[in-house]
Amino acid sequence: MADITLTVNGAMRTGSPEARKTLADFLRDDLDLTGTHVGCEHGVCGACTVIVDGRPVRSCLMLAIQAAGSEVTTIEGLASDGELSTLQQAMWDSHSFQCGFCTPGFVMQATAFLSDHPDAGEQQIREALSGNICRCTGYQSIIDGVLLAAERARELS
Amino acid sequence: MTAIAAERYTGASIKRSEDPRILTGAGRYVDDIKLPGMLHAAFVRSPMAHARVLSVDASAAQELPGVVAVLTGADLDAITVPAPDPLLALIGGAGPTAEFTLLATDKVRLVGDPVAIVIAESRYLAEDGCELVEVDYDDLPPVMSADFALDPSSPPLFANLGDNISRPHSRNEFGEVASTFANADRIMDFHIDVHRHQNVPMEGRGCVASYDADLGLMTFYAATQSVHLTRNGVATRLGMEPDKVRVLAGDIGGSFGLKIGASREEQAVAAASRHLGRPVKWVEDRGENLTVSGQAREESFDVQAAISNDGDLLGLDVKMVIDTGAYPGMGTMVPAIIEGMLPGPYKLAALGFESTGVITNKATYVAYRGPWASETFIRERILDLIAKDLGLDPVEIRLRNVAPRTDPPAMMITGRPLAGTTTKESLERVAELVDLPAFRRRQAAAREQGRYLGIGVATFIEAAPGPRSEGPGGALGMESMRLRLTEDGIVELFTGQMPHGQSHQTTLAQIAADEFGVPFEQVRVVVGDSDVVPFGLTGGSRSATMTGGVTLHGTRQLKAKVLDFAAHLMEVSAQDLVISDGNVWVRGDPASAITVSEVAGRAAAGQFGADVDADLEVEATFDGGQGGWSGGTHCAIVDVDAETGLVKVERYVAVEDCGALINPAVVEGQIRGGIAQGIGAVLLERSAYSEDGSFQSATFMDYLMPTACDIPRIEIEHLETVPLDADVNFRGVGEGGMIVAPPTLVNAIEDALSPFGVRIYEQHLPPARILELIAAADPGQ
Repeated sequence: MADITLTVNGAMRTGSPEARKTLADFLRDDLDLTGTHVGCEHGVCGACTVIVDGRPVRSCLMLAIQAAGSEVTTIEGLASDGELSTLQQAMWDSHSFQCGFCTPGFVMQATAFLSDHPDAGEQQIREALSGNICRCTGYQSIIDGVLLAAERARELS
Repeated sequence: MTAIAAERYTGASIKRSEDPRILTGAGRYVDDIKLPGMLHAAFVRSPMAHARVLSVDASAAQELPGVVAVLTGADLDAITVPAPDPLLALIGGAGPTAEFTLLATDKVRLVGDPVAIVIAESRYLAEDGCELVEVDYDDLPPVMSADFALDPSSPPLFANLGDNISRPHSRNEFGEVASTFANADRIMDFHIDVHRHQNVPMEGRGCVASYDADLGLMTFYAATQSVHLTRNGVATRLGMEPDKVRVLAGDIGGSFGLKIGASREEQAVAAASRHLGRPVKWVEDRGENLTVSGQAREESFDVQAAISNDGDLLGLDVKMVIDTGAYPGMGTMVPAIIEGMLPGPYKLAALGFESTGVITNKATYVAYRGPWASETFIRERILDLIAKDLGLDPVEIRLRNVAPRTDPPAMMITGRPLAGTTTKESLERVAELVDLPAFRRRQAAAREQGRYLGIGVATFIEAAPGPRSEGPGGALGMESMRLRLTEDGIVELFTGQMPHGQSHQTTLAQIAADEFGVPFEQVRVVVGDSDVVPFGLTGGSRSATMTGGVTLHGTRQLKAKVLDFAAHLMEVSAQDLVISDGNVWVRGDPASAITVSEVAGRAAAGQFGADVDADLEVEATFDGGQGGWSGGTHCAIVDVDAETGLVKVERYVAVEDCGALINPAVVEGQIRGGIAQGIGAVLLERSAYSEDGSFQSATFMDYLMPTACDIPRIEIEHLETVPLDADVNFRGVGEGGMIVAPPTLVNAIEDALSPFGVRIYEQHLPPARILELIAAADPGQ
């Protein structure tokens, strides 16, 4: 057990996870942030993606103690004031998802990607999301949601 | 066409009411359940494919701090009773009944077979405990192929059966098989294999069982396609009355046929909770999911085709062997469905069909999106092979063989009427959309430059739910729904559908809102509680017709009841009342309007005489009406790199007919998702075993899933040509994409490789296999 302090969705959080506990399990079990989903536990499917210090991270491959002192954003942190983010809204408008299990990972990965690549085109977006697996949609609706979000963000800026 | 109401949500891509919760992390999946005092389970699993269990020593595990209990197969056997698989119990399998225990006691039958369950304060500790359980095995020869399973000398997996046959050999004939073959111009033979692959929902199986000893009640949180089948599976195994088991389900992270009933692991978790008097959670990890949750499709076919020199497919004689894996499951039911569907939309006049199911030391066969899909694969594959032999175009040979739409409808030789099928239209439309002659010119030019482009078409029909008929396939079954107007004016639908991505909370609300005359937001669709919803199952692409239909008719019944009550309140005749936009008013007198909510509130609060029915609730059933077929034609254009074997899907076009669309975006999502799984099945996915029975694709680095870079944009056009029913012409589209994409893609790949003389008799074509096919081909063909 080690005491850690980190910022999660803008709030200071503390915990005492076992050294072997993954960040994903810490967020879900210790902080009750169950929006982050665990899809493969070996870093391939991307469902557990969260943003750590501005970068998308597979929270199943990172230990909770490695996140000590970091700033972590999870799916619960995107619409914290009750209003969907531009990306979330665009994904709703685009019928991006079906079962919703992969959704948090895609939303976090795409959020991180768009903040660095606001002008990305379809092929770039596909490549940026190719480390996230969705079994339901065939991806087109997800890509359309990201493209729509990028377009709306550009209109706003 | 279906006429519902003037102002329509139905037919529009209404935004999903499920999305705000899933986009914000507020969905509630089974792994999100946390109960006071909850324990966590993990399973000790066999590393061997086939072995006797000599001893299980749990003492070291039991001493590990944090481990609460270890229950072996023998322990569980003592606290449970034998029970059939709930799906098999419902539909009935074909074949002998294998005898086995809930967890392995005498022997293990596949890698991953559960031997003991460890229950601990955390999942981490439960897995630590598993490491400490000592199991002594004595190797038996594994049965890893259908050929060996068919050999009487193969060691039987189940002692009481004496052999490895799960479905005894049978043969049926439809039409004049012998004379059709005797009189045919040509007879061609094919051996076609379909490889083992699997559902792989992003959320695996899982449950939380919570037994209340004081009340004798089990509350079981599940990820399931049917809360009632899960309830039955838990109750029968625990020897409880079904009404003492309540199954609750929230959001479900996909299934595609996997999560039906209650698995052995889920039953064991329920038994452990009752034994310990504490809630127990088990959620499988990806390794468990890939290894033991279930797999599908390992089938082989010897096909003989009787054809005319002009390209008429006159008769088929098919011998099928299906590998149903280790334990009883859906596999034994599949051959009969394949037999019935084999003629497809074609004029095929004679069919001989024989099948055998075999038991092997591999994962149990489970339903996977279009479990009978191989009928379409082999039919659409051999049509292309025949066309090549005769020098015909693939569209031409299909148009030549399609049964014309007549009145009365043509009958499939296996017994069902081809009512309302639009195969011809979809074939013609696909040919137009891709401009076949222009493609052939481009293909020829590309070949000059050493690029291998190919085009493939395939067509299918899907009984979603199938036409009304008296023949095999029979009645459409019934769908039930309870509907009520709540006291605050919400139209509430209680359905046994258990959506896991299908968007029923949106689509059924669209239909009800239109039919009742309230805003979409004023309809609530209640799912996932076996105590309050009627029996049902999401599966078989049944919900569009069956549940869409019961929603429409049930809402009509409820509305009539509400109007009768409102007529009493408003002192007018019910015939003079209309409901729109959530208001009830006297026709022609908008000033008379009162809200539906007010009517509901008055019904709930008021006291009325015996002549007034203020109970604004109905129970409705629907038998499917006239039913109908879904279907369509798909076309793929591929670019095959003959140096690397890589296949790029350049274009994919689907022309589909699922009747009237409830929500086009939902329909298209189903179609695209199915196609993506089909593309994955052909280019990437395979559940692989070594000869000694070890499982070789237990991670996502070995079982390759299609990604956003593998699946192209998919162009979809809808035909809505032939309404059969006065009211309900919505048809299912859940499975069609997965059924027809594999032959579409394989046909395209073979077309691309035709300069090499490649002929393809299989479904799994990763780059290495493409290169082997090129190397082995005879360019003279």
